Amino acid sequence: MNASAWNMLLEGAWVTLWISGVSIALGVVAGLLVALVRLAKIPIIDQLLVLYISLARATPLVTLTLFIFLSAPNFGIQLDRSVAGILALTINTTAFNAEIWRSAFGNFSREQREAAMAMGMTPWVMFRRIMFPQLTITSLPGLVNEMSFLIKGSPAIAVIGIVDLTRVTNRISAVTYEPLPPILVACVLYMAIIGCLVWLQRVAERRANRLAE
Amino acid sequence: MSEATAVSIQNLSKSFDEIEVLRDVDLMVNKGEVVTILGSSGSGKSTLLRCINWLEQPDRGIIKIAGQRIGVTDGGKPMSMRELAKVRARTGMVFQSFNLWPHLNVLHNVTEAPIHVLGKSRSEAEAYAHELLDKVGMSHKAKAYPNTLSGGQKQRVAIARALAMRPEVMLFDEPTSALDPELVGEVLAVIKALSAEGYTMVIVTHEMTFARAVSDQVVFLEKGRIIERADPETFFTRPDTERVRKFLERNEG
Repeated sequence: MNASAWNMLLEGAWVTLWISGVSIALGVVAGLLVALVRLAKIPIIDQLLVLYISLARATPLVTLTLFIFLSAPNFGIQLDRSVAGILALTINTTAFNAEIWRSAFGNFSREQREAAMAMGMTPWVMFRRIMFPQLTITSLPGLVNEMSFLIKGSPAIAVIGIVDLTRVTNRISAVTYEPLPPILVACVLYMAIIGCLVWLQRVAERRANRLAE
Repeated sequence: MSEATAVSIQNLSKSFDEIEVLRDVDLMVNKGEVVTILGSSGSGKSTLLRCINWLEQPDRGIIKIAGQRIGVTDGGKPMSMRELAKVRARTGMVFQSFNLWPHLNVLHNVTEAPIHVLGKSRSEAEAYAHELLDKVGMSHKAKAYPNTLSGGQKQRVAIARALAMRPEVMLFDEPTSALDPELVGEVLAVIKALSAEGYTMVIVTHEMTFARAVSDQVVFLEKGRIIERADPETFFTRPDTERVRKFLERNEG
């Protein structure tokens, strides 16, 4: 592989990284919001969210990406490819994250909540000071797992012409007729990205030990 | 109602799914007084205690903390969470299973509510917390996390945490029932010391010797009713009812 091939690979890695990164950040926060709204059990809205979660979880990423990109013009919206890609990844990961957050809420200790209430905390103070710091730690293994699924699923966005880390290997081998080297490098780069996540998970686990009685 | 009343309970009734747990309970706790609630399990004593700070919602009855009604506004409407929290902040509760917050160290368990509920400055809250941890013999563990403490140590921290709110009344819900026998003594000693300092306390317990030593008033609950109330001397030596005599015989020693 020559220098330009290396450059293309790094550019592809960057595309994967920033599009996944933005989707992860949006998806973690949106998942938390969905879980919180579902906690309030508002009729109709709750059913709509349940419907959204089951649809988003059942739809393949490639299909969802295509659907969003191709259907947007029908609503009079011209979507940028990257925006469509981020939207698809975010819609997908939010649904999974919402379920991770929700199960953490559901398992939160009643005893600790009662102690907070008995000390005169309002629900908001209790959430912010007592529940949230612990929920982030207990949810992190599940969230990181979902993050790595998202990154590994992100080649789906190539279907609308985004040149990500996987797609770029195709382009390189089209010129060099040697498909293996770029793919090997891509694998290593994926592993490096996921490796950072696994490290994050280990830090979280160390802190989680403290929460175990 | 006099200025000296810390807790007043009138006509309190409560049912769980058709089963009546409390029936027309009346109880007055004066400032500085220690009241212990005795009774066999299922008699409603924990429910009674948990109604005082509205962790359980009574079906009927009026509960006041230092003259302030809890759960229901002056206009007769159910309190908002915010209003309820304000009244709860005037009580301190110690739970059977300690219920410390595991993500905070000992010091921060004690300062959390004074800072984020009462709005105290960190330095003021920490100064008072150190004083209280000293009182319960836990100042050497200020930086430790709850999972490194023994049950007795956890409960002493929980007592300091409740005291940090400078409550009108301290509520103890079987504070030694979850402890290994050899750790019971250290917690009871702390509660005894508090009673000597004039703290107002309502205690649900199974420790008879302790109840006798620490109480100003003993109340006996049976099937959700108070069937006997007396000073500890009378209660433990000359109980009125056959039921209490039997209960004391069984719990001797």
